[in-house]
Amino acid sequence: MNPPVPLGILEDKEEEHLATQVLGPSINSDNPQERIQARRLRIAARLEARRRNWLYGTELVTNIQVATDIREIHRRVEEEELKRQRLEKLENEVKTSQDKFDDITAKWEEGIHKKIPQELWELLNSQQVHCAGLIEDKNKLISELQQELKIKDDQYVKDLKKQSEDICVLLERMEEQVKTVMRTFRQELNHIEKAFEVERQELLSSNKKKWERALQAHNAKELEYLMNRLKKVEDYEKQLSKQRIWDFEEYNMIKIKLEQDVQILEQQLQQMKATYQLNQEKLEYNFQVLKKRDEESTMIKSQQKRKMNRLHDVLNNMRSKYAKQIKQFQEENQSLTSDYKRLVIQFKELQKAMRHFVIIDEEKFRDFWVMNEEEAKGLISRAFDVDRIIHTQHLGLPWTAPDFWFLKNVGPLFQQQQKSATQILEEVLMQTEEEGSEADQELESYLDLPKQVSASTTRKILMLLCDESGFLIESKLLSLLQPLEKSECYLLRLDAIFSALGVESEDDLYKLVNFFLKYRAQHLSSQEGEMMPALEPVPKGEEEEEKKEKEEEEEEEEDEESLEEEEAGSLVEEEAASTSPRLIHPNDVLKILEAFVKGLKKPRDARAPVKLQKATRDNSKDSDYWKALATVIPRSRQNLWDGLYAALEKYHLVLMRRAELLLECNTLEQQNTELQQLLQKYLGSKINSELQVPPTQVLPISTKSN
Amino acid sequence: SPAPGLPVMSMQETLTTASTSPQAAGQPPSSGSKFTKSFSATWKSRGPNKGPNVRLMRRIIAEDAEWSLAIVPLLTDLCIRHIVKNFRNNPILKQLLPEHQQKVLRQLPPDLPLAVTANLIDDENYWHRCCEQRWPVCHLDCHGGSWKRLFFERHLENLIKHFIPDSTDPAVILDLLPLCRNYVRRIRVDQFLPPVQLRPPPHNGDQSDSGSEGETEEPSMDHYRLGELVAGLSQLEELDLVYGIKDCGMNFEWNLFLFTYRDCQSLAATIKACHTLKVFRLTRSKVDDNKARILIRSLLDHPALEKLDLSHNCIGDRGARAAAKLLSHSRLRVLNLANNQVRAPGAQSLAHALAHNTNLLSLNLRLNCIEDEGGQALAHALQTNKCLTTLHLGGNELSEPTATLLSQVLSVNTTLTKINLSCNHIGPDGGKQLLEGMSDNKTLLEFDLRLSDVAQESEYLIGQALCANREEARQRALNPSHFSAPLTAKGPENPVG
Repeated sequence: MNPPVPLGILEDKEEEHLATQVLGPSINSDNPQERIQARRLRIAARLEARRRNWLYGTELVTNIQVATDIREIHRRVEEEELKRQRLEKLENEVKTSQDKFDDITAKWEEGIHKKIPQELWELLNSQQVHCAGLIEDKNKLISELQQELKIKDDQYVKDLKKQSEDICVLLERMEEQVKTVMRTFRQELNHIEKAFEVERQELLSSNKKKWERALQAHNAKELEYLMNRLKKVEDYEKQLSKQRIWDFEEYNMIKIKLEQDVQILEQQLQQMKATYQLNQEKLEYNFQVLKKRDEESTMIKSQQKRKMNRLHDVLNNMRSKYAKQIKQFQEENQSLTSDYKRLVIQFKELQKAMRHFVIIDEEKFRDFWVMNEEEAKGLISRAFDVDRIIHTQHLGLPWTAPDFWFLKNVGPLFQQQQKSATQILEEVLMQTEEEGSEADQELESYLDLPKQVSASTTRKILMLLCDESGFLIESKLLSLLQPLEKSECYLLRLDAIFSALGVESEDDLYKLVNFFLKYRAQHLSSQEGEMMPALEPVPKGEEEEEKKEKEEEEEEEEDEESLEEEEAGSLVEEEAASTSPRLIHPNDVLKILEAFVKGLKKPRDARAPVKLQKATRDNSKDSDYWKALATVIPRSRQNLWDGLYAALEKYHLVLMRRAELLLECNTLEQQNTELQQLLQKYLGSKINSELQVPPTQVLPISTKSN
Repeated sequence: SPAPGLPVMSMQETLTTASTSPQAAGQPPSSGSKFTKSFSATWKSRGPNKGPNVRLMRRIIAEDAEWSLAIVPLLTDLCIRHIVKNFRNNPILKQLLPEHQQKVLRQLPPDLPLAVTANLIDDENYWHRCCEQRWPVCHLDCHGGSWKRLFFERHLENLIKHFIPDSTDPAVILDLLPLCRNYVRRIRVDQFLPPVQLRPPPHNGDQSDSGSEGETEEPSMDHYRLGELVAGLSQLEELDLVYGIKDCGMNFEWNLFLFTYRDCQSLAATIKACHTLKVFRLTRSKVDDNKARILIRSLLDHPALEKLDLSHNCIGDRGARAAAKLLSHSRLRVLNLANNQVRAPGAQSLAHALAHNTNLLSLNLRLNCIEDEGGQALAHALQTNKCLTTLHLGGNELSEPTATLLSQVLSVNTTLTKINLSCNHIGPDGGKQLLEGMSDNKTLLEFDLRLSDVAQESEYLIGQALCANREEARQRALNPSHFSAPLTAKGPENPVG
């Protein structure tokens, strides 16, 4: 512990320094700047002193701690030293005592071998002495250590005392420190307060002076203003009196004038009142009139209102009625539609039934027909048989069987049905495809075509048509046709073209083909001839031809062979012309089509009813047929038969008579034989013998008599 | 002055019309206050003589002659009084208006049960009264300036201090937990009572001279376990513990100052679980190396710990090594290992950790024995460290070599502000070298070289350099424009002083 020596000196110096500092810029000097400066310096100096005080104070306080620390260090060092010594001592002690102990234990070993009691006693004694020495050593050591412990205890107590002293000192110093710090703070506060006070005083006095000066100036100015004001007041009073007089005069004048005005205005008022009265009466009258009108109008209004109400009622009634009726009609409509639906269904059923019946009827008809025909044919064959017998057996004439078409007919007579254009097309195309391989068959099977036109020709024409008039086909269809085969493609395209052109039936198709051929012929004959006039007669001719063709077709069935021959002939003709379609220029196709379409319009209109009639069966030929059947045997032959019949009857009669006679003859013979038998019998009987005379004796006599 | 007289005159007129008494009219009142006085006086005087306006009179006159309007307490006052009276059973406070709350709080007695007041009353004045009633001296600054906090912290500390394991009911402390959990931020306990051992007093007396005997009874020497309490305190920031006994006097026994292994383990678990803990102090508790290691291991990577104080224990080099590890595994700012048994190896490991540490601000190794070897290691570490501001190496058997290295550090380091080398054997040469180092330093503010065999001259010169540094620092801190004039004036003053 060594308190800082320079502390006191420093503090002294500080005091001195403070004293000199105060002498620097004086607080009492007149210059306020200087005063402020001086005060600031003083404050700074005080702050510095305080800080230094504080610092030294803390040092003073901490000095105790430092001193304790160093003491502790010293103590520790000493302690360590002591500890070391003690340990050494203990170790030495342990060593020596161990040696001694070893000696003693060694002697015990010796003692075992001792036999003489005296020696043993001596040994035991010496051992006892040794042990006592050892124990004494140990005890000494223990007492030493205990002594040390006691010393330590004392030391502890001393240390405690010392510590309490230290703490006391510490507290004292701390208190002192606190006091000094407080004191300095208080001083500082006092100084600051004083300085403030002084400054305040100065400020107050200076402000007061300023204030007084300002007040004086203010008073002087106030006085001046007062004087000015008095003067002005006098002036204004004078002016006021003048003004008053002038105003009075003016007032009088204005008063007189205004009175006059008032009189005039009163007069005007009277007039106005009169007009007012008048107007009032007028207005009253008008008012009355208007009131009346108003009443009337209200009356009318009420009437109208009543009417309106009535009409409203009516309207409502009507509306309700209308709604009712709508409902009614709707219901009716519903019932009717349901009826209608029912009827339609019935009708459809009826139609179905009808169709059914038609078919059945047809079948029945056919059955009947066949039956009758069979019957007739049976009869006819019988008649023919009879005729043949008559001829061969009776007349001895050779007989030839008559041959008639109707004999071969079986079933009812039918008319050939017209095929549609597409069907024909299909056939044509199919056939022409097969043409190459089976040329012969084609000749036979292709019966429907008109004579002039061959299948190949038709096909070529159609191909041409198909190639040239692509514009008639819808673009959609074209795209659909892409993947199909060539023939199918042609077929469908042609179908589309025909539907566009209006070609429907077989005839139309042939007409078209013919048209082409004719055109070509015409074109060849008159190369520069005009189209239109030449074309016009063509369809008519066509039509006639067609009719003929129809008849021919019907007849075709009847006489196939002749037709075949004819066809063969026509085909031969056409083979020459078959090359001709090549000569039709593709460019002309359109012209031909145009002409054809124009020409086609007329016949089609005429045709419509004909088609309808064809629905019913033509039974005109039936009677002929049946008549023909009935008159299979001609009249001449019947006459022959009649004559023959008469002759045969006569012959029959003769034969009859002969037969009768023969029968008589037979009966007579029979009677004869019978009688002979009877006779025989009688003769041969016993009675005879019994009798005097037997019949047998008689009989031979009778027989001899016979 | 006619201005204040006007309303008074009108009042007087109304009075004169109301009553015929000449007394009221006769008194010419000059001011409002006087008038009210006279007014009440007239009422009193008019008590007996009932004038013509009976109805007017009846409103005021009571049967009691002593009665006056001023005596009648307001209904609110009555209510408040009642509330205060029954506060123990029916605490009503929050529902009241602020002014009434104030009144109630002012009248509440400070001895209300804590269960009622703890979470209800926040008023500082009430708690101030409570504190003053219980303790004559209260250091408000130590408790964050809050009387309520002060009350609860001291109350809790008191309970812990007087807790005797195995005989005191632990519920005494735990019951308080829900009440104080939001207010207690610091537990500062400077005494932990051991379990009562007075049952076999003769037996105890026999064995008093043998210290080793106490250790056999170690299991029974465990102190109060803080674990449950600390876990419940959500705001706890500081733990300041001393496992020892105060004022034992002549009943001293080594047993009484025993920080057992089990205590240590429970404490370690406690501080590990407490994530809000910022300051942990365990002083004067005979913490040895193993215990220190257990404690420090539990503090590794602690999220909040800033200050660790293990001074006045017997921590050796291994404990110091653990502390060094802690330095690099936490955000520790202050480490105090004063008065332990740290020697050169421990100091070297600390220095190694310090070399690259960026958190530690203060390191105290006072009264250890790190010697020159450790001192040199620390000085080397300070050459790279950019964070440490305070270093206390007092009483460490340091000598000249350390001083030379430190002087080099002083000329380089710009963060250190306080160094304490007191009570070492630095010697006059070392002092000179330190003075050289000081001449280049502008940041050091305190440099304690007392009792370190330094020549007085060099010590004085070092003191001057420190003064200059301090002045500079002050200047830096203050607004320089204000004090520029006096400072310039003081410039020449210092060398003179």
